[in-house]
Amino acid sequence: MKNMIEVKKLKKNYGNFTAVDEIDFEVYRGEIFGFLGPNGAGKTTTQRMLTSLLTPNGGSIRIDQKDITQYSREVKRIVGMVPEESNVYNELTAWDNLMFTGQLYRMSRKERKERAQELLEFFGLWDKRKIKVENYSKGMKRRLSIAMGVIHRPQILFMDEPTPGLDPQSALAIRGLIKDLNKNGSTIFLTTHQIEEANQLCDRIAIIDHGRIAVIDSPENLKTRIKGIQSVEISLEAAAAQKSSKEYGPALAQLPGVRNAIKIGDKWRLYTDDPTNLLSTLFKFAEKNQARIITLNTMTPSLEEVYLDIIGDLQSFQPAERKPAKPMKNRRMK
Amino acid sequence: MKLIKIFLGEIHQAFVIAIKDMKVYYLRPGMIMFGLLMPFFMFFSFSIRRGISADAGIASLLALTVFFTSAAAGPFVIPLERRTGTYDRLLAAPNSLLTLLFGKTLVGAIFGMAVAFVTVLVWGIIYGFHISQPLWLAATIMTGAFSFSALGLIFGSIPTRNPGDVQMPSTLLRWGLMFVSGVFIPVGEMNETLRTIAYLSPLTYAQDLFNYIFLGTNFTNPWISLLILVGFIILFFIPSLMMHKRSLKLGF
Repeated sequence: MKNMIEVKKLKKNYGNFTAVDEIDFEVYRGEIFGFLGPNGAGKTTTQRMLTSLLTPNGGSIRIDQKDITQYSREVKRIVGMVPEESNVYNELTAWDNLMFTGQLYRMSRKERKERAQELLEFFGLWDKRKIKVENYSKGMKRRLSIAMGVIHRPQILFMDEPTPGLDPQSALAIRGLIKDLNKNGSTIFLTTHQIEEANQLCDRIAIIDHGRIAVIDSPENLKTRIKGIQSVEISLEAAAAQKSSKEYGPALAQLPGVRNAIKIGDKWRLYTDDPTNLLSTLFKFAEKNQARIITLNTMTPSLEEVYLDIIGDLQSFQPAERKPAKPMKNRRMK
Repeated sequence: MKLIKIFLGEIHQAFVIAIKDMKVYYLRPGMIMFGLLMPFFMFFSFSIRRGISADAGIASLLALTVFFTSAAAGPFVIPLERRTGTYDRLLAAPNSLLTLLFGKTLVGAIFGMAVAFVTVLVWGIIYGFHISQPLWLAATIMTGAFSFSALGLIFGSIPTRNPGDVQMPSTLLRWGLMFVSGVFIPVGEMNETLRTIAYLSPLTYAQDLFNYIFLGTNFTNPWISLLILVGFIILFFIPSLMMHKRSLKLGF
């Protein structure tokens, strides 16, 4: 598959501080690529380098097989950008904002007008197109900002935190738009803190921390490959005496292959590296203890758990003077 | 032919940026205060009791208006756009940095030329239109406006998102230049040190040209003054370009 973005040994320093530390990754053509990481991890710095807004200290970026420093203009023509803050001109109307952006990308007058009407109608702003943007709500400005980012039909769209601060209806509409844009062939590079959003939208996810890529994979692969946060949830009832599920806890926690055991309501969630083996162990346990299994489910970890596990692990390797994040298992046990 | 097409395309893009800026910023308080009101206040503060002639008055007033209005845009617009994030939109567009900077220079230059035109018009209505050198007047206003706007651009290129950080040094420089450029004290009456500084100021040459047009007196050949003003445009563009490249390294 032809890559839309190829990043090699990309590096950015601010004085002695390394914001992005020789990262490598590819974004496939036509995919929605999520870029996740905690504050200060290097997400926005990376995105600004990819959109030519920041000059790297080293490495190379190729977009659509072209080096962005050598073919700056060709690359910029196929790139769209929606930054975290809605960077619209408040003093202009929505129509004028779109006309100006279309002009920046050298679209013809006819093309600009048709596309602006199409976008304003799509985003529900057509009736308010002649109102100055300073009178718009945050959600309306966000929608206009996205419309300005896609007016020239970019082949790749960089979106930085597209939905935080929006009402659920607007957030849903924007997620729908991202899917639509992708369905129409645009590659989407989505920088976000919203893990569930990335889970719903992204084909692949990269997690960056302290300027380094920790992992890149599909959300489902990430959930299964992270050992120790897969789990089996079991609810037991004693067959003879009325022994409750609660009382089995200490014994369940001691079973081979169980890393942690947490009580959730009348169930126990048992964290393990190998759910398949644990299932047979649990059947034997129930038989031995004359207990009846009421429910038994294997649980895939949420993407949030995966994310926190990765970030936690990474931070535990930092030098002593930095405050490490609490390990995942301690947080769970609380 | 292809090169001409590219060149015209870039000029067009610069005008697109400039026209947008005119719509957005010309009526902003910062532009009105630093660009429009300040030169008039300055002029009347220093001239009203000196009993200068109408011709000498218009020569000084024009020099001040073109200087202040043209140089006001750069230090105001660019940091403000950096703060609101709209500058990123311009940097991410498929235009060269030179085109963007030329567009920003146009904003100040057109502002300066427009205010100068109104000033001449009002002066003409009051005192009668007897401009003997209309072409020289147009050329001086134009080259002056561009060179002063390019000067303002240097301050706009300082890597900051706060217009206040730029307004202070740019205002200080403009005030300083105003007093050493022959606007209030003729260059001929200055001591040698001040005169040397005066020769380094673009305002000196604009004032000398306005004196030539309205009073018929000048200390430098008008052609040389005009060429020096053109030279200043190029000279001021270079640090702006370099500072912008540095800003891109710093993330502004």
